[in-house]
Amino acid sequence: MSRLRRDPRAERAAHCLAGEGPRPRYDRTRRASGSGRPRRDPRAEREAQRIGGAARLRYDLSQISRPVGEAVTAAPRAAPVAEAPKTIIVESPAFLVAVVPDAPGGRLSGHDRQVIGAARALAGREGAVAVIVEGDCEGLGAAGADRMLRLDGAEGYDPAARAARIEAVLASLGARHVLFPESLDGGDLARRVAVGLNEPLFTNAEVVAAKGLVRPAKGRRVEQSLAPPRLATVAPDAVADYAGALREARALPFEGSAPAVATSIVSATRIPADPATVPLSLAEFVVSAGNGLSDLDTFRQVVAALHATPGASRVLCDSGLMPRHTQVGASGTVLAATCYFALGISGAPQHLQGVAGCEHVVAVNTDLHAAMIERAGLAVVMDAQAVMPALLRLLAEEAAGQGKAS
Amino acid sequence: MRIAVLLSAGLHPVSGAPVLPRLEAQAIRMAAGLGQSAEIVGLHAGPDAAALAEALGQGLPRIEHIAVAAGDDPVPALAARLAAITPDLILAGRRSQGGDESGLVPYALARALAIPLVSDVVAAALDAEGALRLDQSLGRGALRRVVVRGPVIVTCHPDAPAPLAYAYGRARRGRVETLAVAPAALPVSALAVEERPYRRRPKIVKGAPAGGSAAERLKAATGEGGAASSGRLLIEPDPEDAAREILAYLRQIGVLAPPAEPKT
Ligand SMILES: Cc1cc2nc3c(=O)[nH]c(=O)nc-3n(C[C@H](O)[C@H](O)[C@H](O)COP(=O)(O)OP(=O)(O)OC[C@H]3O[C@@H](n4cnc5c(N)ncnc54)[C@H](O)[C@@H]3O)c2cc1C
Ligand SMILES: Nc1ncnc2c1ncn2[C@@H]1O[C@H](COP(=O)(O)O)[C@@H](O)[C@H]1O
Repeated sequence: MSRLRRDPRAERAAHCLAGEGPRPRYDRTRRASGSGRPRRDPRAEREAQRIGGAARLRYDLSQISRPVGEAVTAAPRAAPVAEAPKTIIVESPAFLVAVVPDAPGGRLSGHDRQVIGAARALAGREGAVAVIVEGDCEGLGAAGADRMLRLDGAEGYDPAARAARIEAVLASLGARHVLFPESLDGGDLARRVAVGLNEPLFTNAEVVAAKGLVRPAKGRRVEQSLAPPRLATVAPDAVADYAGALREARALPFEGSAPAVATSIVSATRIPADPATVPLSLAEFVVSAGNGLSDLDTFRQVVAALHATPGASRVLCDSGLMPRHTQVGASGTVLAATCYFALGISGAPQHLQGVAGCEHVVAVNTDLHAAMIERAGLAVVMDAQAVMPALLRLLAEEAAGQGKAS
Repeated sequence: MRIAVLLSAGLHPVSGAPVLPRLEAQAIRMAAGLGQSAEIVGLHAGPDAAALAEALGQGLPRIEHIAVAAGDDPVPALAARLAAITPDLILAGRRSQGGDESGLVPYALARALAIPLVSDVVAAALDAEGALRLDQSLGRGALRRVVVRGPVIVTCHPDAPAPLAYAYGRARRGRVETLAVAPAALPVSALAVEERPYRRRPKIVKGAPAGGSAAERLKAATGEGGAASSGRLLIEPDPEDAAREILAYLRQIGVLAPPAEPKT
């Protein structure tokens, strides 16, 4: 650890104001160099909070002022160099690291991106990352793929046939490492491929580096490490995405065909989650009622119209207005929802604990200072009783508009 | 109908004491739900059968214990025994508990017995024509209903119904039989791993810019950097406007389906 040594003379020279009179004059508040972080200037901030009227000094403390004056303007950060986005090309890779993403619906999931990031870490400068996708998939270059191998997507659910296809591709690709996401489908595929190729599989890796992979075992009491094996699955949220410049994702040709596999699956149908019956802890979108609501019938209509799962605060559950299993919070259910829509909920700490994992929060409350309003990405300060009929009306109008047009 | 439930030697994640893993108890319940006429047998390959008594109390009338030396691969012995009893349905957990937790045993058995495998199942029912209707979890409550015919291996997902209550009487009446089975000849593949005590690692912070400062990571972690910092506040708007804003926001984050385009 060596720190840059200060040079007091140079600092002083930087503060010197050019050509003012016979004496050298210095402006000590000016920052010439340094980390480039804007420095606070309490005096200037205070000055900016001062409001009109010269009779007495008056300050408006609620106003968070923009710092004024030259003293605190940040030295411009190394200006973002606006160069043309450069594509990194690995012309003749020393080896390949293959990734088989889930890519549901032709888009990489967050987990897929992490796996490609892990593959990038294994590939380093010399290697190339080859992503094997079925059907079209966008955004591979930005996620860190050097090569792309596209198979024709198959219809229907037949994991054994998919594993056979991937095995055939891997046999012709000759990749040094193959990574899968440890998700429901990806983990299933990885195990089928490993058993099919009769190779060991390193499952649920939490660290992926050229030095080695690490996974938890025995109920997280030990961890097992290994030099990068040929087949591995990567745990969710353990490895960072690729953050470098765009890569080319050049299409690789694939010759050879996958063997046909006889299947004993008679039929497979997808049943989307029914928001009305899905357990609260699994729900994707929860609309919740609090003590501020009095009209719960309208609330139930809103929940149904929004295709959401109903929730409630403890007050409503205690008074028997909502069933106990809908209670959100520390002593109820901790949500894993993407969006939480709170109507008339103050946001007590015990309630907010249940919402901590929700990415988006929408709140309607009459109280501007409620904790829920502060937590929300979209906060509406008004009577929830008035918003609910308006929501219903709007949704009904949309439905009717469609009905007329079709 | 013959059903085999695969029981591993689970260890409690905190105490390290032998327990029946919850997933396998759920698998026993799934088997018990397939009808009174089903003949259910538990199957375990391992050095001793001490922890299996608990599985009897969970609703298994009979357990076969195949003696396998500690540290040996259970798959050849299990494959040989399963080939002999030819069950119509083999139930297993998706991962074992307390060992390597790799979840490879059911797949290796499916390969060895050449029968299909359906993973992460939360409910199983018998069809009128004797086919099996399996509900596979796709996460977040979504399901895939798969209908399969013939012998099949099914792995059980944690979202399956909770296990039956432990009953002392059932545990007393049940039997554990120890068998000696000549293991099937199967190729084995193992990894030479190195073990050390587990070390917790920081979770990656989603949404933090790569190479950002500690302050930026903190912002991303506390949610100030995300939706909340750019939060919109509407004070006493018109109810219609508020409703329109809310619907637009819900559509923007993708939890509400966009209004279908009016067909022209
Ligand atoms: C040990 C313990 C555990 C707890 N666990 C939980 C738990 O798991 N879950 C839980 O929810 N609570 C829990 N609580 C209770 C918690 O502390 C709060 O009492 C509760 O969350 C408050 O619920 P509320 O926001 O619905 O009601 P209130 O606090 O009464 O808030 C009602 C809100 O509605 C607003 N409002 C009023 N009229 C309207 C209107 N017309 N339109 C819009 N808004 C309006 C008000 O401004 C107010 O903000 C627990 C408490 C304890 C002590
Ligand atoms: N020794 C064993 N005997 C019987 N079944 C086992 C054994 N080991 C694993 N299994 C089954 O395979 C599943 C997955 O185990 P594993 O592959 O070890 O994670 C377990 O939940 C059990 O149902």
